[in-house]
Amino acid sequence: MHWGVGVPERPRIHGGAMNVPPDRPLRLESRQSVARSLVSQERESSLRARLAQRDEAALGELIELTTPWLLGVAQSMLQDADDAEDVVMDTFRVMWTSITPAADESQGLMPLLLRMTRQRAIDRLRNRTRRLRLVTALTPSEMDRSTVAPVEPNEAAQPGWHIHTQVHAALASLPPEQRIAVSLAYFEGLAHSEIAASLGVPLGTVKTRIRLAFGRLRTALAPLKDWVP
Amino acid sequence: MTAHDWFIEHRTEYAARALDAAEMSAFAEHLAGCDACRAAVERIESELRWLPMGVSPVTPRPGLQRRILDHAVGRAPGRFRKWSLPIGIAASLLTGFTGWQLGQQASRDPITSPIVSAPARDAGIDARLLALQDTVSIMRQAARVMQAKIMMHGQEGGMVIFDEPRTHRWNVVVHGLPAAPIDTGYQFWFICADGMVRGTRVSLDRSTPMLFTTGMPAPSCKVTGAALTMEPMQNADGPPQGKTLAHLML
Repeated sequence: MHWGVGVPERPRIHGGAMNVPPDRPLRLESRQSVARSLVSQERESSLRARLAQRDEAALGELIELTTPWLLGVAQSMLQDADDAEDVVMDTFRVMWTSITPAADESQGLMPLLLRMTRQRAIDRLRNRTRRLRLVTALTPSEMDRSTVAPVEPNEAAQPGWHIHTQVHAALASLPPEQRIAVSLAYFEGLAHSEIAASLGVPLGTVKTRIRLAFGRLRTALAPLKDWVP
Repeated sequence: MTAHDWFIEHRTEYAARALDAAEMSAFAEHLAGCDACRAAVERIESELRWLPMGVSPVTPRPGLQRRILDHAVGRAPGRFRKWSLPIGIAASLLTGFTGWQLGQQASRDPITSPIVSAPARDAGIDARLLALQDTVSIMRQAARVMQAKIMMHGQEGGMVIFDEPRTHRWNVVVHGLPAAPIDTGYQFWFICADGMVRGTRVSLDRSTPMLFTTGMPAPSCKVTGAALTMEPMQNADGPPQGKTLAHLML
């Protein structure tokens, strides 16, 4: 017997990891509140300096701070906890071996790690055949459902949650067809042709939706670009 | 449209790494010789730097952060460090179980239990050993081990699941929890795609761990996780009503 109530389901992707409440208003908070939510500029500088000096405690702090988000990025694409962990482990290994005192500080540690993780997840995704199964498994109804997936209450205590909510707001402001297209392309790493096949729309339509979506996202997220978490 | 117009039009998708593989390669090649596109892409990358935070965070599994640290600095972790806690719990349970079996065997020794024939006694021991062997095999062949920490009255316990995919069975260990209050009990649930399916009632006395083996519910139920709740005793077959103590998603 099944019961349709109970334990809150972890946000799913398709794109469950991108659970965008469609009616959430777009609201950008102050730079100060976001900075407090992840790590201060002073702590970022301190972490960078200590990492360059091969301070393992600093690496441990960074891992603790960022791993939930990096796992979220990798898992949303790979749909596999073990693969996601491998990607995050590899990301930190490369970061640890490449960071130097002279490294570019303008990007920020968190955006750097997010980008590295995402790139590695894309590489891994494009190198495995399981992706075919993912593509064929997609249906529009699944994607519609996922956009209103619930959020665990304790996630709000996660460092970086404020940035997360603002990105969500930006995504929520997109028309549904653009949000689905950008979700599949950006958060799940599908190629445009695969998105077209899974949605049953022409390739040109997918490209247009994605281009329009990114244009809107650039505008919505531009106020965040100079924030140093 | 000129060839360069195409690159101008697709700068944002390139910056987001959202072009197809062949287009990404073509764009990267173009960037090497186009300062304007390179500068534009850098600006767009900066604008979209927080977009990956659109995902929901995922709670790391126990021990992962330690393994990440070890891997990053090139320190080889112990082969079984990842599963050291669940394996330790399981080992202690099995040791206890084996001890109990031997105790049972001794109590049925022909001297004290003359009515039990030797062949019958041997058959019983063989059956129990086979069951024990089967239990161990699930742990040995588990493709993954999932753990959830549970805090109750300042006491830390947890639920550990060994997932053996070949035969679709789980060994579930619930440990470190106090005995359930009167008129309540610990209840194990399967979280399925379309709802909750009742599993085993978990009996815990004086914080003694419990180990049980379970198969999956009906094939129509797509299991996506498991949960442990504290249920009122009168809720023997209804939906979950009590407090959720732990849930694990696959």
